[in-house]
Amino acid sequence: MKLSMAAKKSKEAYVFILPGFIYLLIVCGYPLLYNIDLSFKNLNVKNFASGEAVFVGLENYKTLLADPTFRLVFKNTLVFTFACLLIQFTIGFLFAMFFSKKFTLAGPIRGLVLVGYMMPMSVTALLGKNVFQLDSGVINDLLMKLHLVSAPVDWLVNGGTALAAVIAVNCWVGIPFNMLLLTSGLTGISDDVYESASIDGATSFQRFLYITLPLMKSAMLSVLMLGFIYTFKAFDLMFIMTAGGPFNSTDVLGTYAYSRAFTQYEFSQGSTIAMILFICLFCVGLFYLKLLGKEDD
Amino acid sequence: MEKNGIKEARRMYLRSKEGRRNIRNCIFAVIIAIFFLFPIYWLIQMSFKTDMESFGKLVTYYPHEFTIDPWLQNLKDADFETSLKNSVLIAVCAMVISLGFGVPAAYGMGRYKVRGTKTFMLTFLVTQMLPASVMLTPMYLTFSKLGLLGTYWAPAIAVASGSVPFIVVTLRPYFKSIPVSLDEAARIDGCNVFRSFFKIMIPTIKTGIITVVVISFLNGWNDLIYSMTFNVKADMRPLTANIHKFQSKYGTKWNCIMAYGAILTIPVILAFVFLQKYIVGGLTAGAVKE
Repeated sequence: MKLSMAAKKSKEAYVFILPGFIYLLIVCGYPLLYNIDLSFKNLNVKNFASGEAVFVGLENYKTLLADPTFRLVFKNTLVFTFACLLIQFTIGFLFAMFFSKKFTLAGPIRGLVLVGYMMPMSVTALLGKNVFQLDSGVINDLLMKLHLVSAPVDWLVNGGTALAAVIAVNCWVGIPFNMLLLTSGLTGISDDVYESASIDGATSFQRFLYITLPLMKSAMLSVLMLGFIYTFKAFDLMFIMTAGGPFNSTDVLGTYAYSRAFTQYEFSQGSTIAMILFICLFCVGLFYLKLLGKEDD
Repeated sequence: MEKNGIKEARRMYLRSKEGRRNIRNCIFAVIIAIFFLFPIYWLIQMSFKTDMESFGKLVTYYPHEFTIDPWLQNLKDADFETSLKNSVLIAVCAMVISLGFGVPAAYGMGRYKVRGTKTFMLTFLVTQMLPASVMLTPMYLTFSKLGLLGTYWAPAIAVASGSVPFIVVTLRPYFKSIPVSLDEAARIDGCNVFRSFFKIMIPTIKTGIITVVVISFLNGWNDLIYSMTFNVKADMRPLTANIHKFQSKYGTKWNCIMAYGAILTIPVILAFVFLQKYIVGGLTAGAVKE
């Protein structure tokens, strides 16, 4: 009797779980395998219709690794990701500490700041393109008024400044997100811990170093890894704001994979770039999953 | 008497010090808010400027000459109307698929302990990590074989693949937190499991449900890459995917482009104004706890 109850129960559970699980297997698992397969073939616009793409082994990977544009794109992705993570995380953490204090406007403003994170990235990118314009852009206007630059900077036309502009726009989205996730970790630390440390004569810096940081370790790690995953696969922002230009200087793996596959119709090349992107994410993701597993127990 | 007076004064002093600290923090918070909301202000004020003022060399910080013309230009455009309709339909399709698969899965994973739970959870987490570019080419080729290219289903199916794991991760803790006694009470009242799922479980976790409804709609609404790739013809594209088209049409008429962006942002603003506390709570729960 008891056993049949359990069997019935697990049957029920599968009725709820399996549709979603199978959906993901089909919609994500199948394309992933298909993508791996494509990365070992030479599918392009010439043999797309005839279906005569052949197995070429690691040829695509070799071609890409030797391609200077790919190397540049890979470097851009790394620079973009790490610059964003550093800025987002540091400022996000400071803001989280600030907003975990108790004052009248803490709650409402913390919520308001999040609007940027919720906005469609494509609109944020349009906005970024507008504010970084040479003559009509507000960034140059402000910088000139504050006498920080002597002449307007042509942000989106020079490679280095274009990447900086894209990073700045992404941080505008990323800081509130980091702040939100870290705040919930901070508010979890009980006030008693801080109070008893103060009584023992700990300075605020010591309290931060010996209480906040250790207690926040796992929250910080998961925020950093989530941030890495979201930032490393960026697409919308560059696609609209700079279209990867000038001269690929803001092209990242996401946009480069797209343009190879869907503007040059080198499907296999695009798939290979996507595979490399996925492998990088997966490695970081494994650590993240391990961390979650620990927390679950 | 005198002692009492001193006490009173001290209390006043403490209170005022705390009060001053409160004011100082509030001012600082307002500065932060101004910094983060400035771009949104910029978007909106731009959309009410005249053509000349919006791309002139003289940068103005509010419309010196107020006009709703940029909004009208967008609304009157025949392409705009189709794009808007497409945006809504894609977002609704994506939302329905996501909820239909995601909510039951979250329930099953939150309320039952069955074999394979770890594998299921792992799958949901890994799919959340998948970059769109990995799925783009295979999906394009598959949809092309199935004749789904250029339909609302193609982008909706793809977008839902990201929303389903999000829903599972976000709602699982909510379902977990419902006391078992509620199940039992439902059973005794003769509810079967599906009835209790719809009539008792879902209403109980209303907060979580609102979050995932809004986010799964917005995921579809915000989508750019899937719609752009799968719906090649402009008349099937949503607002996001037609940005380039409108951009080249408007050229440097930033007022019109910004009005376009403002319209795209309306659902987000509405969600924020009415449902902020749900969404903020839901997002936090989903992103860190699991």
